[in-house]
Amino acid sequence: MKKRWLVTSIFGLLIAASSAAQAIDESCTKPSAGNGQVAVVMAAIQDLEKTLSAEQRKSLERPFVRDSAIRWSNLPVGITPRMGLRLGDLDEKQNHAARGVAAAALSACGLELLDEIRIADDVLKAVDERKIGWDAGNYFISVLGTPSESKPWMLQIGGHHLAYNFTFNGGREGATPLFFGTEPIRFSAAGIEYEPLVAQSAAMSNLAQALAKQPAAKLSGTFTDVVKGVVVIPVPGKMPTGGTDTGFPMSFPTGNSDRGILYGALSPAEQALARAAIESYASLPGAAITSPLVAAYESSAALAETYIGYAGQPDLGARGSYVRIDGPRIWMEFVVQPAVADNTRLHYHALWRDKQSDYGGEIGH
Amino acid sequence: MNSRAAWLLALLCVARCGPALAHSAPNSFVKLSFLAQSVRAEVLVPESELAYATAAERASEPFAAYLLRHLAAETPQGAAWKVDVRSFSHTTYLEHAYLSAQVEFTPPAGASPGSFVLVDDAVTHEVRNHVVIVLALGAANPELLGALQYPARRLAVQRSAAIADTRHASQK
Repeated sequence: MKKRWLVTSIFGLLIAASSAAQAIDESCTKPSAGNGQVAVVMAAIQDLEKTLSAEQRKSLERPFVRDSAIRWSNLPVGITPRMGLRLGDLDEKQNHAARGVAAAALSACGLELLDEIRIADDVLKAVDERKIGWDAGNYFISVLGTPSESKPWMLQIGGHHLAYNFTFNGGREGATPLFFGTEPIRFSAAGIEYEPLVAQSAAMSNLAQALAKQPAAKLSGTFTDVVKGVVVIPVPGKMPTGGTDTGFPMSFPTGNSDRGILYGALSPAEQALARAAIESYASLPGAAITSPLVAAYESSAALAETYIGYAGQPDLGARGSYVRIDGPRIWMEFVVQPAVADNTRLHYHALWRDKQSDYGGEIGH
Repeated sequence: MNSRAAWLLALLCVARCGPALAHSAPNSFVKLSFLAQSVRAEVLVPESELAYATAAERASEPFAAYLLRHLAAETPQGAAWKVDVRSFSHTTYLEHAYLSAQVEFTPPAGASPGSFVLVDDAVTHEVRNHVVIVLALGAANPELLGALQYPARRLAVQRSAAIADTRHASQK
């Protein structure tokens, strides 16, 4: 988000809760063409396809099978090559049409996040000259399966620090897996200041700071990355494989031990912070994609079984700081890591999974 | 960039951009070689993640002794195998510093070396995102046998027909 750095400690946590919610609204300054409605997304894809060559259409269209669906990552393209239509290869008309697809599927917040994470990659390109794929152009769009108003298919938009995986008409709601991150955390480009994950980092740190006085909220152990992310598999003498969602489907914690504090044990103000954190992630896809999930996550029954835990510094000011929301379906993580291009600084990784409906429930083992 | 170009960039990275893999917190690898009477393993543990694990335990013993407290093998019925840390060395894998231990697992008399339960929580008892990836060597490409992440610390290992065939072929 441009020029919007929240200073929450001055106002206290109750005000911080409303600040976080307001931050999300303020960030959505760009129009969203379709808010994730399948017919609008399909029309935008048709408009894009009209601008493409046959070869480009082959890059865009991929089968809706497990191997295609799990091919997202949080690693640079030089480490984990992506499939799909590379945005950096498109001419102006094609780029406009591709952006139309993103605008149809995403909320204004989600579209802005896509823009700003890509700008962050270009900032890294100037800081770190290794040929590893930092580049705003190294973001891709793919359509898995045949777009339809009734049968399952997927839209993937992503690159180094972003993975939007939207499944339409799946057996379950299809907003996830959704990975996003940023390095640098804050930066300036062309005279504009950016902090792409300010809404989510503020919401998660507000929540962790509010809970820090409660011992039950503290998770044991150390966190050096998100827990349910991608895995790199070594191949002796060769480039490692994987770096994608090869571990899907994941197992998740069960029982009530070491999962944090139950939502029901929180004060009303703290509960508001928890819901603001959920909505800071869920606001990224278009409302048609995400609304049923928010309703499910924030139902009384679901919240009664939702845990919130943190580790490290609650203000997310140091490496190893970690916050997690873990419910019957919801799994949202936020972790602070050392930066890679400049390891004296920090960077963020965040992940949203749904324990029941990743890939719309359409992808198995 | 088409997919071919992306893969060429990836290959270039083998030699020139390993540090970027620091973007992914390094995991442990256990590479198993099935022998007639035992199982040999190269156990690769990233030093950065191991440091969190040993600090959490305030462990100060030598690495081999630490590893023996956290690495084991059992028959499927629960009988302990003999575990020897034969040697270890410092190495790097994709620019991450690793400790590499050569370990031999020997089953009790009468037990098959082709089926056992591997126990490993050398790092995972502390680092929650850490994954131990268990591979079988011997085939043309390593075979992924499974992975361990907290709280899981036990993996049932079954030597596959493909691995067994390769072993016999290599002995001819």
